[in-house]
Amino acid sequence: MKPKVAFFDFTGCEGCQLDVLNLTGEELLDLLGAIEIVNFREAISNRSDDYDIAFIEGSITREAEITRLQGIREKAKVLVALGACACIGGINCLKNHLPMEQALKIVYGDAAKYYDTIPARPINAVVPVDFYVRGCPPQTAELVKVVKALLLGKKPDIPNYPVCTECKMAGNICVFELGKTCLGPVTRAGCNAICVTGGRQCWGCRGLVDEPNKDSETEILKKHGLTPEQAVEKFKIYNTYAEVKK
Amino acid sequence: MMTSSAEAIEIKKSVVISKQGFKNLVNSLIKKMDVYGVIAKKGKFVYDSIGNADELALSYDVTVLPPTAYLFPPRETILRFALGNGAKPEPVTDDTSRAIIGVHPCDINAIRMLDEAFITTNPDPNYIARRKNSLIVGVSDLTPSPKSFAPSMGTHIAESGFDLMLTDIGSKYIVAIGSRKGANLIKKYTKSSPLSTEDIAKQISVLDRALTRYKLNLNVPRERLPKLLEESYDDAYWKARSDTCLSCGSCVMVCPTCFCFDVQDDVALNLKEGQRTRQWDGCMLVDFAKVATGENFRQDKASRFRHRIYRKGKYVLERYGRMGCVGCGRCAVACLAEIASPLEAFNAIAESWQVKQEAKRILREARPEEELYLPRPAQLVRVEQLAAKEKVFEMKFLDGKDLGHQPGQFVSVSIMGIGESPFGVATSPTRTGSFEFAVRNVGSVTNAIHNLQKGAVVGIRGPFGNGFDVKALEGKDILFIAGGIGLFPVRSLIQYVLDNRNQFGRAIVLFGARTPAERLFVDELATWKNNPALEFYETVDRGTPEWTGNVGVITTLIPKVQLDPRKTMAIVVGPPIMYRFVIVELKKKDLPDENIIMSLERRMKCGVGKCGHCQINGVYVCQEGPVFSLAQLRNLREAV
Repeated sequence: MKPKVAFFDFTGCEGCQLDVLNLTGEELLDLLGAIEIVNFREAISNRSDDYDIAFIEGSITREAEITRLQGIREKAKVLVALGACACIGGINCLKNHLPMEQALKIVYGDAAKYYDTIPARPINAVVPVDFYVRGCPPQTAELVKVVKALLLGKKPDIPNYPVCTECKMAGNICVFELGKTCLGPVTRAGCNAICVTGGRQCWGCRGLVDEPNKDSETEILKKHGLTPEQAVEKFKIYNTYAEVKK
Repeated sequence: MMTSSAEAIEIKKSVVISKQGFKNLVNSLIKKMDVYGVIAKKGKFVYDSIGNADELALSYDVTVLPPTAYLFPPRETILRFALGNGAKPEPVTDDTSRAIIGVHPCDINAIRMLDEAFITTNPDPNYIARRKNSLIVGVSDLTPSPKSFAPSMGTHIAESGFDLMLTDIGSKYIVAIGSRKGANLIKKYTKSSPLSTEDIAKQISVLDRALTRYKLNLNVPRERLPKLLEESYDDAYWKARSDTCLSCGSCVMVCPTCFCFDVQDDVALNLKEGQRTRQWDGCMLVDFAKVATGENFRQDKASRFRHRIYRKGKYVLERYGRMGCVGCGRCAVACLAEIASPLEAFNAIAESWQVKQEAKRILREARPEEELYLPRPAQLVRVEQLAAKEKVFEMKFLDGKDLGHQPGQFVSVSIMGIGESPFGVATSPTRTGSFEFAVRNVGSVTNAIHNLQKGAVVGIRGPFGNGFDVKALEGKDILFIAGGIGLFPVRSLIQYVLDNRNQFGRAIVLFGARTPAERLFVDELATWKNNPALEFYETVDRGTPEWTGNVGVITTLIPKVQLDPRKTMAIVVGPPIMYRFVIVELKKKDLPDENIIMSLERRMKCGVGKCGHCQINGVYVCQEGPVFSLAQLRNLREAV
């Protein structure tokens, strides 16, 4: 019996689901050989309430989403957070710095009165989460890794060390040496430092490691030219939820 | 004077070649093999694949990653396997021919250090395959990195470990020939001439000038480093200096002498086949010494920071006879917190001396142990539930052979696709035909083992490590103290003593479990209780209404037994927390440290003294342990 898999989207850009569809034809066929997808709004029109594994994309920003997510949690044997919004709250949480009325006003203007909103949060603030496929967007390789681990009944090997480790393995020149700043030293690896390898820098989309040395990282950001305010802002892009909670 | 002479082209000799001659040589190599060399990139230097000798930038300071990454790559497959019963995994090695061009002497010295670690005991098939098929072309470092301190470590010059070594004397290269392969290349592809006196003078002058360009110095003779570190274990420096450490691993990833690794299984989506890979890991990462039960044996930044510096200045030298730091300065470049340079740590502490003699190994004579990482298939013939989370597994090798272990040794059990974990052997070697190990279900591998059905075939490597020295126990009274699953390895020795009963004095067994429900081998405990050959006492931490036996932690049993401290040997195995308290009670009974024998748990991954996870200070638990006397551990500060 192939496990039945469902994808659900909450508040987000749906880029995570799009990324699943970006698997090569061969990978997708292999994946479909191993699991049966019963819910996937971006790809298939079928709907089913009978599933084993639920992938949740997006963060939670409305009361109605809480009830919907709880319903999914009840039905799913395994619940996996997919992408930065679901795993850590992501950029949606930037609005948490504002009063909710003001956030509504900025987005919807005069129509604000027709909408409701609550401070954005990751899905583990609402229901227990079994596994995380991190990143913005998530790496399809990691999604496949988690699926394989589920099929094999093992814990997926997701690193608890910073991006620097993988960035060095990739042979990259440190972006600090090139005059830029980076959150790699405190961000959880698993992405093979794809952004730095591609000529960019790390923004922390996979969330922080379990024991980030934030004081040290802040000092380093300042030493490399950021003002104290800019250094704080840098942490906030993806990790506002964890920052504000404290 | 400058006539080409074939006789002059010999190992250990130097000749002169033109720069164009060298380019021709490199371009000829490119047609025959993968050629990697130093190239410029974004104002820095890196090793990369080259398609033409003109891409080389041999006048450089330091590369981002060291050339050792071609001999011990960031990720590498060591086994291929099919999932399912009885399928035999296959070892995988990489025999591709490579040339690595532009290697600085400090990095060549790093390669010689890795040779010691990978080629001496337990010869590593993957490293040796790459090493044997790699041509090393060195180049003298005339423009050292401002962070380098190679002369202080004696590594700015390499006497061996290369095929060819170039020194740029302006219009041409002086080439030292380090191997027969190197000599043949010079003969085949270049027009060489013997060194003239001017060439020699020029070489001395460029090398002398290069030496003046190093700005950093070690303030003590490097021979004194091990003793110096020995006496600085409790120095406030470790904690103070590591406060800003990011635990990011950059220092160990860029290090040419770091060689610790992790091992993982990667299974294809068809769930039919997969590969076991190893990848770089490092002692500066938070989870490096963490075991499945949750204990982290090096959990604070200071202990990890100190461990790395001790490896660089002491442990590696004592174990392999070569310095664990070659002074390349890469870690100092990579460390954003600016704390990684071993030079700074060495200079910050001070005193005393001692260095072991250099061990010389010749690569040509290396005989890899092809099956080092290859599990032997064994069949599960019996499985029994011991308690809620514990089961015992009886195994038989498919080839009918015995395990051939000593009590106290361990095996690595592989479930292909999930991974490999170490378990103490729970039966005595006197009980031939099969062996048992018992497992508490705490993680992926243990869970997979728990799901095995009778008849399943799994992979076994080992036996590994240093078991109980049964010869030394003969004639002695033996006090077994087992807490919880510590009973598993102790049981192998209890059985051994029972099977050779007249060779030993009294045999006293103390066993403690948390609750009556968590007692293990309940039927066997009953036979021990009724066996006049054993004195058996047990206790539980928390009783139940039905439990009529002792209640209290295991240490409460020790005052109840009479012991002759001169002839009693205590065998102690249990959770980490138990050791401290048991030792206190045994010392009250006047047992000398030599008579207190313990088996320690650590994260053991490779089992053959390479991957580094199980290290207690300079000791590898999988080699010198897991069984130690307290006397041995007194000098190992990380032990208990």
